[in-house]
Amino acid sequence: MKKKVRILWLGLMTCNGNTHSFLNYPHLEQFFNDFEFIYHPIIDSEYSLEDIISQDIACDVLLIEGAIADDFIKADVLGIDIIKKYSKIVSKIVTVGTCATFGGIFKESHYKNVSGLHFREDKRTEKYNHLFEKTISISGCPIHPETLVSTLYAIKKGLSLKLDSYLRPKDYFAYTVHNGCTRNEYFEYKVDNHHFGELEGCMFYDHGCQGPLTHGSCNKILWNEINSKTRAGLPCMGCTEPSFPKQNLFSTKKNMGIPEFLPVGVNKRVYLTLAGITKAFKIDRLQKKLLDD
Amino acid sequence: MIKLIEKIEGEAKLNFHFKNNKIDNVDVDFMSTRHIEDILKGKSPLDALVINPRVCGICGHAHLIATVRALEDCYESIEISNKAKIIRELTLNFELIQNHFKWFYLTIFPLFGFKQNVMKAVIPSQLMGKAIALFGGQYPHTSYAIVGGVVCEITQMDLIKLGHYIDETIQFFEKNLLDVDVQMLQDCDNVMNVLSKSGDLVDVLHLIEKNGWLEYGKSYDRFIVFGESSYFTKGKSIKTRVMHNLFLEDVIESVSTTSFAKSVHYHGKYYEVGPLSRAMVKKTPLIKDAHKKYTDSIFTRILARVCEISQLLLHCKSLITELDLSEPSYIKPKMDITSLNSSGSSAVEAARGTLIHKVVIEDSLIKSYEIITPTQWNLCGGVNENHGVSQKAMIGLENIEIAELVFKSFDVCSVCTTH
Repeated sequence: MKKKVRILWLGLMTCNGNTHSFLNYPHLEQFFNDFEFIYHPIIDSEYSLEDIISQDIACDVLLIEGAIADDFIKADVLGIDIIKKYSKIVSKIVTVGTCATFGGIFKESHYKNVSGLHFREDKRTEKYNHLFEKTISISGCPIHPETLVSTLYAIKKGLSLKLDSYLRPKDYFAYTVHNGCTRNEYFEYKVDNHHFGELEGCMFYDHGCQGPLTHGSCNKILWNEINSKTRAGLPCMGCTEPSFPKQNLFSTKKNMGIPEFLPVGVNKRVYLTLAGITKAFKIDRLQKKLLDD
Repeated sequence: MIKLIEKIEGEAKLNFHFKNNKIDNVDVDFMSTRHIEDILKGKSPLDALVINPRVCGICGHAHLIATVRALEDCYESIEISNKAKIIRELTLNFELIQNHFKWFYLTIFPLFGFKQNVMKAVIPSQLMGKAIALFGGQYPHTSYAIVGGVVCEITQMDLIKLGHYIDETIQFFEKNLLDVDVQMLQDCDNVMNVLSKSGDLVDVLHLIEKNGWLEYGKSYDRFIVFGESSYFTKGKSIKTRVMHNLFLEDVIESVSTTSFAKSVHYHGKYYEVGPLSRAMVKKTPLIKDAHKKYTDSIFTRILARVCEISQLLLHCKSLITELDLSEPSYIKPKMDITSLNSSGSSAVEAARGTLIHKVVIEDSLIKSYEIITPTQWNLCGGVNENHGVSQKAMIGLENIEIAELVFKSFDVCSVCTTH
């Protein structure tokens, strides 16, 4: 029998959303041919959490789900003590989700020093510097199952992944959520009269969509294999980014009519020039309803 | 004797006290919280639509629907199209169904000596995830229901695809859980007819009989349902007597000194919530029959939850026929929510039972937010001599393995319970 990669899935301050998103991976049977969980929050495993805590179980990859705090207790021990022990045993660590990577929503809870493993928002935490080299970050609230599973396969195959400055695989995080959105034309030609509940329109101009400034493959690989939030008509909330969650998520903050946050790599001058040009034209097709005559 | 209960969306600790070889009392302890209610304070009201699904990875959609309804309740009047109401109900039902499948195959099935069947849990729940994503863009953690309706527009083509997801899930149910036409199951009023069929559900029910466990899991035989929909009825059932007058303001949360979970009672009494409660209040014939024979035992509780899958699937099919696609998905509220100084509340039926949200908006921000989850009703320890629902069901049992089964028959969700 071929040797399976052994994974410890450790849930700390989490809603378990990544656990459930992972279960949406369409080829799980294949996955289980190649990987086994020594512990998982809901899938049966060879060891119990009590075993994991009381013994040193052989393991290849540590997955951390949820934010990390100095005083967060799991099954009577400090969560960070479990991390400390298994980070020495494994060859790779993957932070699963935005909480484990940047602190996410629960960085605002009342625990002590809540953060992701290496970052609190976009600041390095330094505390686990010695683990930096063996860590890969998969951000997202929740993670897209493919980003996690393919990264685990890359680890299994020993591939060298190109990572961004937050340790996220560029294969998934070099794109912006804007790439592949079905509402792209309304963005490009600055048709800014979006109304909720319609197939048409771009949410960037008024409704807080962070798609052009958020790194992720949502519109490239799609969710649940069929759709994405922005395609459905929901603004991107920037859930893969260190700043998640920002405030006033359903409205676009503007200064003198210009969005405060511009698309990745686009400066204000470029934006204003392009906006000026596109505004000069009226494209009838994009003013009409898509399915009308 | 203390037992750590694992793999329940987190952990809980049960401290069993034995007397004459029987469980005399159990302390139920949930060990951590994430302070969601405090995190919401001072946020823009609409941001709750993004934060609250993150209460729970498995029933986050119920939290979204509870949030949007609580926010809409802050208005004196607000117009929501029938189409948006139906779409919200559909996606909420889809979440209930995926949760029921996962509970049965990941939690309950292995407790009866079967190997955990991950694929049987994920195949139908992935289909239901797709059905939600069709409207909401993704599952889990969409925020597609917003004040005034839903963000999506749907077409006839979407509905064709949706029909396939539902039909495939029905086929899966018939092939794996219970080998009977779901339409016929709908009309069935004799539990013996179910026991004469085959399927994973039937195997579990037979084992309960064979092992002599029919008496296990009985609690107060008191049920309550606050969430109303085109399928669920609001009411309470006490020993089969059903009353429909309920008042949300009489639901009281009490802080526990030992656990992060707050207990919940109605007029000083503990009630069970969830699929069994819904069936008792709605008087579903098959579940009424099982209840007549086995009252609120694990047998009836498990049967009620699994059968709710087929009932909801059929109901969704009929709901879809009521959709008028020419209606708007979203009607912009006349006033922006940040201009209100108001409070609102909501009750929805989540997979595990009644979920209540209460919000106060002041000076354009959330002043306070209270969440009461289904698992608080079912699982929290009682105050003093007044035992909680699951505590009562475990008292008198002889061993802790059976107690764990009884505890899990209510479906434990640690993250929801303490949020």
